[in-house]
Amino acid sequence: MSEYILEIKHVSKYFHGLVAINDLSMKVKKGQIYGIIGPNGAGKTTLFNCITGIYTPEEGQILWKGKEIKGTTPFKIAELGILRTFQTIRLFAEMSVAENIMSGRHIKSKQKWYNGIIHTPAYYKDEKENWEKVGELMDFFNLSEYATIPAGDLSYGIQRRIEMARALAAEPELLILDEPAAGLNENETLELTQTILKIQAMGVTIMMIEHDMEMVMSLTEYITVINFGARISAGLPAFVQDDPVVVEAYIGSDEEDEHE
Amino acid sequence: MMTKTSMIALVLLIFMGFFPMFVDSAWLAVGTTFLVFSVVAFSQDIILGRAGVFHMGHALFFGLGAYTTAILNVQFGWPILATWAPSVLIPMVCAFLLAGPIIHLKGDYLLVATIGFNIIFIQILENDVFGLTGGPNGIFGIDIVRLFGIQFASQTYMYYMAFILLGITLFIMRNLDKSKFGRAMFYINKDEIAAQSMGISIRYYKLYAFILGAGIAGAAGSMFSVQYSAVSPEAFNVTQSIMFFTIVLVGGSASLPGVLIGTFIMFVLPEVFREFATARYLVFGLAMILTMILRPRGIWPVKFGNIPSFLKKDVK
Repeated sequence: MSEYILEIKHVSKYFHGLVAINDLSMKVKKGQIYGIIGPNGAGKTTLFNCITGIYTPEEGQILWKGKEIKGTTPFKIAELGILRTFQTIRLFAEMSVAENIMSGRHIKSKQKWYNGIIHTPAYYKDEKENWEKVGELMDFFNLSEYATIPAGDLSYGIQRRIEMARALAAEPELLILDEPAAGLNENETLELTQTILKIQAMGVTIMMIEHDMEMVMSLTEYITVINFGARISAGLPAFVQDDPVVVEAYIGSDEEDEHE
Repeated sequence: MMTKTSMIALVLLIFMGFFPMFVDSAWLAVGTTFLVFSVVAFSQDIILGRAGVFHMGHALFFGLGAYTTAILNVQFGWPILATWAPSVLIPMVCAFLLAGPIIHLKGDYLLVATIGFNIIFIQILENDVFGLTGGPNGIFGIDIVRLFGIQFASQTYMYYMAFILLGITLFIMRNLDKSKFGRAMFYINKDEIAAQSMGISIRYYKLYAFILGAGIAGAAGSMFSVQYSAVSPEAFNVTQSIMFFTIVLVGGSASLPGVLIGTFIMFVLPEVFREFATARYLVFGLAMILTMILRPRGIWPVKFGNIPSFLKKDVK
């Protein structure tokens, strides 16, 4: 098997004839933190939606450990070990923090179809193990004190942590983060950086879209820059940062970034 | 230590258990029907309140169970006990066949499709297809339950059979809510995209809810047909479906006490105020409107956060 866990080859995605992603290619190594940057509307989130099965690209290949996954339904993508967070937070707002994180244990739970009607000793063991895992994650993300609180009632920064805890509960191999620092203050961003490094240390590969340049430059090992759905630059953070093409693409669009 | 809710539940259970000793046969029949309709409302709540599927044809599955028992008993001479299993299984199979092709539809589209199924079902019953359903008059002379020479004929027996059926239903509801199946339904209900991204198959769990709900409604239907020893199409029409749908929303989606309150308000209160004739429905129409305005999540809304106590140790 190749050293790349995820390969995107010449992927194009159109909406009503308009190109959203244009012949995009990239390769993500196992264990890497991979950054994707670009101005608003460049197609970054569309790319994530293609990888996670929400959209099916018209052209190209998406290979997960060498196997084509293009067109696979989202729930099967999650079963393969690809989990994500959302740019606009999508929690189960009325449900408690613990129940939200428990949703990540869904694919790991071994309950049989009849356990929805009648409980067995195997059910009790499975249920206990999964709740314990939820407890561990709440400790890891400092969420234990909010265990019973509806997720929608908590602050933005805490909601971002819940969303990451939920994705991590599924024990992903690839974690896809869509603007994890959006809406966070400086301290929270610093904390998030530490958390992402800890997640990487667990052996999880991470792909992230982020506008916070300081964070992207310090965390990522490789960056692809997208504009108008196409790759305009790629390389190590230091290279991308000084690439004239990238600088040009960002001029005049910096202000809009704040309003996304 | 008991919570306030479980205390109320215990008091209610004792009251319901001794209810037949205080009332005449007319009220006993109302009590039995309340129990049966509660079971149907709970089964509707699995589909509507948990999985969030806007299903407005539930009387179809209730009727399928009732007609299965009636047809097998009256037309084929099966004892009532022998009709119990088919009156659960046939609605389940039908739920799978009917819901399968429409389960991907969004809320309002699916609602119209389920009403369509209900209307066709009534047409089939009224037209006496295969000479089995008895046409518009339905089927009369359904037997009572007989076991070891005992005849469960009196209204008191009927009441306690319905009581046990409600007990079994509540047991299933509780188990469902504490399993990954019940939780998956809630996740889908709250946010389909997020649920899918966590590896939850929308189709599987919506169908699971449909099939389980249909089976329970079928059991209630069988009980209903034995209680009245007759079945007829108008008991299972779209108006009935609307009532089950409304019970869940007025009482409180996915809330066990809420659905019981909803059934009480929508079914028992009209009986209490019978002397006011049809004018009483004016009050209920207004009550439905006011509930939706003042308490959009129902009279007794569901409360989440039912997690193991060892996870609550840090909660302030």
